[in-house]
Amino acid sequence: MALLSPALVLLGLVAVYPLVRVATLSFFATEHGFEGARFVGLQNYVDLLDDRFFRRAAWNTLVFSLLATASEVGLGLLLALLVNPQFPGRRVVIVTLVLPYVLSTMVVTAIWRAWFHFDFGFLNNVLRATGAAPLEWLSSRDLALYALVLVDVWQTAPFTFLILLAGLQSIPTAIYEAAQIDGASPRAAFWAITAPLLLPHIAAAMLLRSIDTFKVFDKVYALTGGGPGLSTESLSTLTYKMSFRFSDIGHASAAAVLMIAIAGALGVVYARRAADRSGP
Amino acid sequence: MKSRGWIRLAAAAIVALLFAMPVLWMIATSFKPPAEFVSESIALLPVAPTTEHYRAIASAHVAANFAASLVVAAGTVALALAAGFPAAYALARARLPARLDAGFLAFVLLLKLTPPIVLAVPLFQVLRTLGLIDTLAGLVLTYQAYTLPMAIWLLLGFVREVPTAYEETAEIDGAALPRRLWSIVLPIMRPGLLATTALLFVVAWNEFLFALLFIQTPSLFPLPLFIATRITEEENLWGQLMAVGVLAALPAMLCLGALLRHFGRAPEAGLTG
Repeated sequence: MALLSPALVLLGLVAVYPLVRVATLSFFATEHGFEGARFVGLQNYVDLLDDRFFRRAAWNTLVFSLLATASEVGLGLLLALLVNPQFPGRRVVIVTLVLPYVLSTMVVTAIWRAWFHFDFGFLNNVLRATGAAPLEWLSSRDLALYALVLVDVWQTAPFTFLILLAGLQSIPTAIYEAAQIDGASPRAAFWAITAPLLLPHIAAAMLLRSIDTFKVFDKVYALTGGGPGLSTESLSTLTYKMSFRFSDIGHASAAAVLMIAIAGALGVVYARRAADRSGP
Repeated sequence: MKSRGWIRLAAAAIVALLFAMPVLWMIATSFKPPAEFVSESIALLPVAPTTEHYRAIASAHVAANFAASLVVAAGTVALALAAGFPAAYALARARLPARLDAGFLAFVLLLKLTPPIVLAVPLFQVLRTLGLIDTLAGLVLTYQAYTLPMAIWLLLGFVREVPTAYEETAEIDGAALPRRLWSIVLPIMRPGLLATTALLFVVAWNEFLFALLFIQTPSLFPLPLFIATRITEEENLWGQLMAVGVLAALPAMLCLGALLRHFGRAPEAGLTG
């Protein structure tokens, strides 16, 4: 037990206490600071569910999460299938593809903020060079959320790529050899062998990406600040603004609890699957 | 067969090049004079390469921010390993009731799920009570919310692979627990320890939100926060911004090898937030 105590003390301080505290605060109105906090029951939650800002942020987060997850797993799968067989220079290709994933999100957003620039951004320069009209990547209400998805896909498709490549590598080649002897075409082998054996890895990649995209904060903060209008506000950036700009701790805490509840639902799905695979 | 390998290489090289474009652009822009990037040109390579942006950031005391990043990342890794290794060892060796074991792992998973912003307000109060607001020590402490569960999760797997027989022999010979851990268990799991260190380092090196919330003195800004304050509409400064970006990317890139070698084991430990 002595061995466990340093970890327990630290986790208690930076995780258990904050979680309990935020749950408690969600039942209080704090317009007069923590001292004058009054118990309001579920009123904060009722307010939030009725709040235009909160609903929009929840919707944006859902759209971002679904689009990014689907694109990242799809692209990761294509990349993994491309790189799975042996070929000269394979190692260099893998390292290059994984590179964006180890960069700080702030480095990533610094690059893309410049790329999205209307007058001198690389993307619009390419569009002009090909004779197409330049786009208002971050300043258009219709486009900004998709621009954020694009950045997230670039940064984390390498992650799904690695998971799915590991999955492909774990399929024994003997199965393919047996199928070839039985006269199966490569296409038939893909649908009969690769697809079903890769499915658990695809599901794992989707869950892990939906958990992470649901938390999106850094990209929104540095690329759009939640705008234009409310078009890219996420639950994390809204909670940040409620907590540290408007000091509305009660509502911010209620929003935090709702976020944990949604993330927890994803977690239950994940834990079920992990249990099916007989643990870590 | 051979020619098909080359076709695949060509296809893979094109895709890899497309993926690397933003990074190549960052490196190239950090060596371009402003007239070359504040333009509608799509040329990637600098025509008249310059080191002016690196000299500019050298005189802007970015070294202090680089040092702050290093101190925070090293401190975070040290604390996570110091607290996480004994805990992982205890969980792996002590025959805890299965339910307690599962309960602990469920808690680790819950933390992985929790958006960091959720913890922000209470953590702010914890740091204020401890007098650690606007200190690097405060960041080292709060980053444990990310790194400690990760460290325990990863190290648990590595400890389980160390055979108990060596330890039992040493125990019979009268070696006490700290000595058995130091001279038997740690050396055997050295590769796992290195991989864990690399992963934790990248997470701490790249973190942004808690630095934004808990640090106010500009000279203490870790690099991601420093970059965030420089992401402006001022296109002339792109060269400097990209030079800082290259600096911030280097240590993480050095950890890439360790990350790739051990990735298959615990992808759940993912890096981004």
